[in-house]
Amino acid sequence: MSDKTIWDKLQNVDRRVFYWILFVGLAVPFMFPLGLPVAVTPPTQGLYDGLRKLQAGDVVVLSINSGVSAWGDCLPAMVASVTQVLRQDAKLVIWSIGYVDCDITYREIVNRVPEFKSKTYGMDWVYFGYCPGQESNAALLRDNIRGVYTKDIQGTPTDNVPMMKNINGAKDIAMVLTSDTGDVQTYYRQQWGPTKSSRDNFGAVKYPVAEIGIAMNLSGDMSFFLSGDLFGLTGGSRGGAELEKLVGIKGDGTITMDSINVSHLLVIGAIVLANVGYLLTRGKK
Amino acid sequence: MITNVAAYPTDIFGIIGLWAGLLLMLFIYSYPLWKENPLYRFAEHTFVALAMAIAIGTNLNSLNNTAISPLTTKGQFLLIIPIILGFMLYLLLVPKYRWVSRYPVAILVGSSLGVGMAGQPLPNIVSQIIDTITPPKAGAAALNWFNFVYIAIGLICVTMYFLLTYEHTGPVKPVTQLGRYFIMLALGAYFGNTVLFRFSMLASRAQFLLQVLKIIPM
Repeated sequence: MSDKTIWDKLQNVDRRVFYWILFVGLAVPFMFPLGLPVAVTPPTQGLYDGLRKLQAGDVVVLSINSGVSAWGDCLPAMVASVTQVLRQDAKLVIWSIGYVDCDITYREIVNRVPEFKSKTYGMDWVYFGYCPGQESNAALLRDNIRGVYTKDIQGTPTDNVPMMKNINGAKDIAMVLTSDTGDVQTYYRQQWGPTKSSRDNFGAVKYPVAEIGIAMNLSGDMSFFLSGDLFGLTGGSRGGAELEKLVGIKGDGTITMDSINVSHLLVIGAIVLANVGYLLTRGKK
Repeated sequence: MITNVAAYPTDIFGIIGLWAGLLLMLFIYSYPLWKENPLYRFAEHTFVALAMAIAIGTNLNSLNNTAISPLTTKGQFLLIIPIILGFMLYLLLVPKYRWVSRYPVAILVGSSLGVGMAGQPLPNIVSQIIDTITPPKAGAAALNWFNFVYIAIGLICVTMYFLLTYEHTGPVKPVTQLGRYFIMLALGAYFGNTVLFRFSMLASRAQFLLQVLKIIPM
């Protein structure tokens, strides 16, 4: 008979067993929602407050810099933001300087936001697709959008898109919302950040940039929210759920939160079990 | 409350697309949940090929829109310079003329550095320093004051920890040790958010699985 204790066995459980438990644990709350409450944090409130200040006719840029793989984290907040932008009767310019698969994300946003049905493409929103160039691209977009995007995704020359008539740079745009899995928000902060007047004033006036980031970005980018360089920030599906609550929609962020909460409880349980097991068996090896 | 308008597709291509996505996803997950197998390799290679095809197609389209088309239809002849520089990059693949590719690389590095340096100081250094040394306004909540003091102490201790020109002994030792704890706390927060991101990806896949199987609404 083996002299291994339950703690020894637990420490040697095949990792695939844990993966299976985790996968099932994540799936079950989708079928039986727990409806756990979502508290709104200041960065998300900042984003919502910024969106609420938009006037009819203001132009907002949505820069899709997250790929399909980050939909779980970024799509809910993007959908909620776009919903609010269109409710404010603001106009939307959508492009990407980060990910080549942005077309799929764009289509998904249009599918999920009912407000698009009462709007007209070219008059209320326009989509330009992806253009490579990263930070240099962001710098050029600040001064000359037509230098980067000569035509929209449908092949219409930018000059012929009605809503683009008087829009050609940062000075014509009220704010930038950038979905982000990495550094692209820094490009907007750095290149669009200080306006000409604020440059003389040592950064007193900052260009309104908000980040719809993956959860991983949250800790690092929080300092930019606190310093006012980002007027709003949502981190992951949690941020998406918070924004959905503020905007008043029940989207994937809200639905996913139960699942995320259960997965976290599982991980905390696993960490506690592993450490207790380690402490109890430490002296025996 | 309103609900999402996204619905289960009714056209045949939409349904095929959903099931293809689901099967490829399961093939990929067969690796961590079971072991490496031909289905996993098929899905992996399909993904790499498709991602590459999309990237090439999108970038060529972008090249056409931003350079070739304005050059040929609008007569913007100056664009011939970046186009030639772009082609010079590919001489990296020809050992005999490899040196030619160094010129566009040098221009790329120089211009990127210039663009980056121009924008860096204000938002990333000056703004952060101003925010760190500016105390909360009078009447601010106690938590804001705690955050201000916490960040100030953390900044000093961590900066001391990374000053490596002297030995961390004597009166400096407790300060640098505290700095190390601050770093560990920050890393813990980073790791926690990283785990959250990965679980969020996994949760959205679990949701997709249930939606395709019509167990939950799309």
